[in-house]
Amino acid sequence: MISLKKMNQPQDTVYEQFEDLAQQQETYVLGMWSFLVTEVMFFGVMFMSYIVYRWKYQPYFYALHKELDWRIGGINTAILLASSFSVALAVHYHQRKKKMNVLVCLGFTNLCAISFIVIKLLFEYIPKWNHGHYPGPGFTWDNPYVPSHIAQLWFSLYFGTTGLHGLHVLIGVILFSVLMYLIAVDHPSISDYLPTEMLGLYWHFVDIVWIFLYPLYYLMPK
Amino acid sequence: MSEHAHEHSHHITPISTLVKTLLLLGVLMVTTIAWAQIAPSALKDVPPALASLINNLIAMGIAFIKAVAVILIFMGVKYQSSIVKLYAALGFLWFTLMFIMFADYGTRHWEAVRGWTPGVKQMAMPRADEPYEEGMPPRKDIKIPDEHH
Repeated sequence: MISLKKMNQPQDTVYEQFEDLAQQQETYVLGMWSFLVTEVMFFGVMFMSYIVYRWKYQPYFYALHKELDWRIGGINTAILLASSFSVALAVHYHQRKKKMNVLVCLGFTNLCAISFIVIKLLFEYIPKWNHGHYPGPGFTWDNPYVPSHIAQLWFSLYFGTTGLHGLHVLIGVILFSVLMYLIAVDHPSISDYLPTEMLGLYWHFVDIVWIFLYPLYYLMPK
Repeated sequence: MSEHAHEHSHHITPISTLVKTLLLLGVLMVTTIAWAQIAPSALKDVPPALASLINNLIAMGIAFIKAVAVILIFMGVKYQSSIVKLYAALGFLWFTLMFIMFADYGTRHWEAVRGWTPGVKQMAMPRADEPYEEGMPPRKDIKIPDEHH
């Protein structure tokens, strides 16, 4: 019988290639951080292209940032910060082996992630698409103060960067759902708190990317 | 921690620390939004270049503090070993090094690009196989192949 109250986990196992539990756990965390370094490099070039073009077209970029609503971005920032907190809480409870609390925290995180995507689609991507504000041959632009090709450049950067970030959020939703299922059924692959910790690290990274994207795109300083 | 005496290998971050970090992040988020709203009027009499510098430093400074808080507390790097700390710093070190690339963009002349720079029909440096036309910049180092015509 599967209980929702307690983690039905074996005692932490040390696999033969490791000296002790501490070394084993450090290896997992280090592996995750290596992956996150590649992610920093991945997003780094997106930020770099933003910086290069903003440096060149600063007045236009400032005019273009008014196409975005800082309130929508602010709500999404608050959602991501709250979800980052709840996933840190999930790791805390998983270390204390409180199954129900872990599931509630992960569920809340997942709900936040889904709300983030829904808000982004309903209030940003779909209205922009309907106004023809997507780069390409169908681009429609009627602001005489900003040349159309620079507006397209800006929207390319915007859709590219926030789209890549949104894809990471979507991957997070899938992974959180799988993790919640595995924890709920006491799957043998969840032998300790580290799967939650790994996914937590990934999620915090997604949060950090947004921490920088939000001021750069929504609150662009003049 | 007596009930976890067998698990000395990992640190459990107390809930109070997590809550304090969340509050700090919330306060910083409100600060950066509030500053973005009042900055245009607050810096009305400041020269634009200086105002831009101040705004960018505030926005990116706050984002940096928020990121450091998330990395140290939520991601638990503060409680990890030195090698994990090194890896955590590595990505951001690489990002700093990337600014050398930016110096390259910033100090070079940007070539006119056909279809991008308004009014420019030809590239500053045409491809070698491109037939020479009236109005193109002279090509000293490329021999124009006549047999193409």
